[in-house]
Amino acid sequence: MLDTFIQGLFAVFQWQTFLVMLLGIFLGFWVGLLPGLGGTTTLALMLPFIYKMSPVEAFAFLLGMHSVVSTTGDITSVLFGIPGEGTTAATILDGHAMAKKGEAGRALGAALMSSLIGALIGAFALALSIPIVRPLVLTFGAPELFMLAVVGVAFISSLSGEGGRALLRGILAGLLGLLFALVGQDPQAGVQRFTFGQLYLWNGLDLVPVLVGLFAIPEIVDLAVRGTSIAGELPQENLSKGVWTGVKDTFVHLGLTVRCSLVGTFIGIMPGLGGGVAQWIAYGHAVQSARDSEERTGFGRGDVRGVLGPGAANNSKEGGSLIPTIAFGVPGSSSMAILLGAFFLQGISPGPDMLDKHLVLTFSMVWTMVVANIITVAVSLFFLNYLAKLTLIRGPVLIPFVLFFSFIGAYTSNNHLGDLAVLLAFGFFGYLMIRCGWPRAPLVLGFVLGRIAENNFYISTIRYGSAWVGRPLVLMLISLTVIVLFFPLIRSKWQESTKGETQ
Amino acid sequence: MKALVSSRFILSFAAACIAGYALYASLHWSFKTALFPRVIGIPLLMLALIEMALSIWGVEREREGHAVDFELTTTVEPALARKRTLVIFAWILGFLVLILAVGFPLAVPIFVFAYLRIAGREPLTLSIVLTLVSWIFIEGVFDRFLHIPFPDGWILGLWR
Repeated sequence: MLDTFIQGLFAVFQWQTFLVMLLGIFLGFWVGLLPGLGGTTTLALMLPFIYKMSPVEAFAFLLGMHSVVSTTGDITSVLFGIPGEGTTAATILDGHAMAKKGEAGRALGAALMSSLIGALIGAFALALSIPIVRPLVLTFGAPELFMLAVVGVAFISSLSGEGGRALLRGILAGLLGLLFALVGQDPQAGVQRFTFGQLYLWNGLDLVPVLVGLFAIPEIVDLAVRGTSIAGELPQENLSKGVWTGVKDTFVHLGLTVRCSLVGTFIGIMPGLGGGVAQWIAYGHAVQSARDSEERTGFGRGDVRGVLGPGAANNSKEGGSLIPTIAFGVPGSSSMAILLGAFFLQGISPGPDMLDKHLVLTFSMVWTMVVANIITVAVSLFFLNYLAKLTLIRGPVLIPFVLFFSFIGAYTSNNHLGDLAVLLAFGFFGYLMIRCGWPRAPLVLGFVLGRIAENNFYISTIRYGSAWVGRPLVLMLISLTVIVLFFPLIRSKWQESTKGETQ
Repeated sequence: MKALVSSRFILSFAAACIAGYALYASLHWSFKTALFPRVIGIPLLMLALIEMALSIWGVEREREGHAVDFELTTTVEPALARKRTLVIFAWILGFLVLILAVGFPLAVPIFVFAYLRIAGREPLTLSIVLTLVSWIFIEGVFDRFLHIPFPDGWILGLWR
């Protein structure tokens, strides 16, 4: 086994394989940076180029590109408040807030180093867990997957503010997200829901214009109101020192980074949940790591832990989502479905053969993810000082370009002008939410999980009637939902009373 | 009366309307189509009504106003902030109208130039250089290299 593991490493360092991997990394670097280009779409566009490659070369090229997209997507999220990728939106909340405080370098350093650790943990989880993952995946049926979605929304809702009123608003935002996800054709009966006779809405609302609208438009409005650069007129810290502070932060909070990486890997393994979910759950966990309510109020205002959590999870989930793809041929996300196409183009059937006949190829994938991320982070660290200086560009010069990339990013998701209307509608809605103190994170997670939750809820009800509620794992998850919802409230009341007694 | 026109009331009212509409629409659907929208719509409507009532009569404690999210700038004088907000929303809407009228490849450089000169009051040379950069991006990267299909826009559509 160890021999094969090392053979996988040597396979990646064959000069032809290494060259195509570098090409993939180069493409992935820019795809992640530019909001108008999605990692999944680019993966699909690159499929025709692998015909003449050997399997090891083909996967080095595709995975080299795909595994660095989230890493560089974090850079755009931190610097401009626009999600570089759909999977890097959670980094905006604290990463961009840090950039506005003149700590862009520190935020970028933390995002990149946590991404690297996340990618390494995800890759080694892939290597270690293939033989044991089958029973884990089979334990989760439709009722458990539905409850997992409920726990996710409850978790992020309860951690999105302080006190009962914030909990109410968090749940409201989560429910609105779930409802927005239902726009379009009903997957069970094919009935049009909330489409208002518009053909564009038949497929539902696309995640990209919704995300770009919710996050970019309020940031642009705020930048215009301030009339300064992103970093404002605050005294600028030593940017180079800031990058290394961010790198050190990752090791200061190593426990959190590792836990969030494991969260990302686990969510990646679960078919259908994907990276959009992993980052938010990890963000919720980072908020939960605050010792008291006072410390928690720092989140959303530039707490480095809010960068480390999602940064680690959105990279570790790549290794996780490869597990069901390789082991069973069940893709965990749309990008993995495209990668599955690459297996067939190469004449390889995913499944038990990947653990026996093609084990070197499997390990070469692990090594590709490791090497690609190390190279990307090392190269990015050289440029971070220059990238961080972008936050010093005057607002009036930056705004038309940020708007341009926001509009083009939204438009390219479907190449339809309707995407621009969605962008504006959600942009205005996002602005209103911020004005009113409603958190956006639960809305996004609800939106991402809506369809998954509905499908699993429907299957559970049709297959088991109401009996699914009594399944042991479901009961555990229901209890967890109740704890997750009310524990922060009880804890804050308890802390208040303890404080009152001591004074 | 002031509470009724507050943005907090308006947002919770909008959430209640969305939930109400979802529940009303679900009356016309079969059980399996309507099941999940109702499961979501009923608690959403109830909670939105509670939030509406609280935004009129409820007293909000200082720390409850903070969501784990970014907060709008408070250092700019409110009247000026309101004016700048309206102006930037007008620019955003104007960009959309421009795209619909002349299509992406023309709208982007026109918008960038107009914004830099009118809103930013940037020097002419810098405005021209940055407009060229934006044009190279839209024409070179997105149109020629990636072949993103951009519709012509109403005005150019009439021309052809």
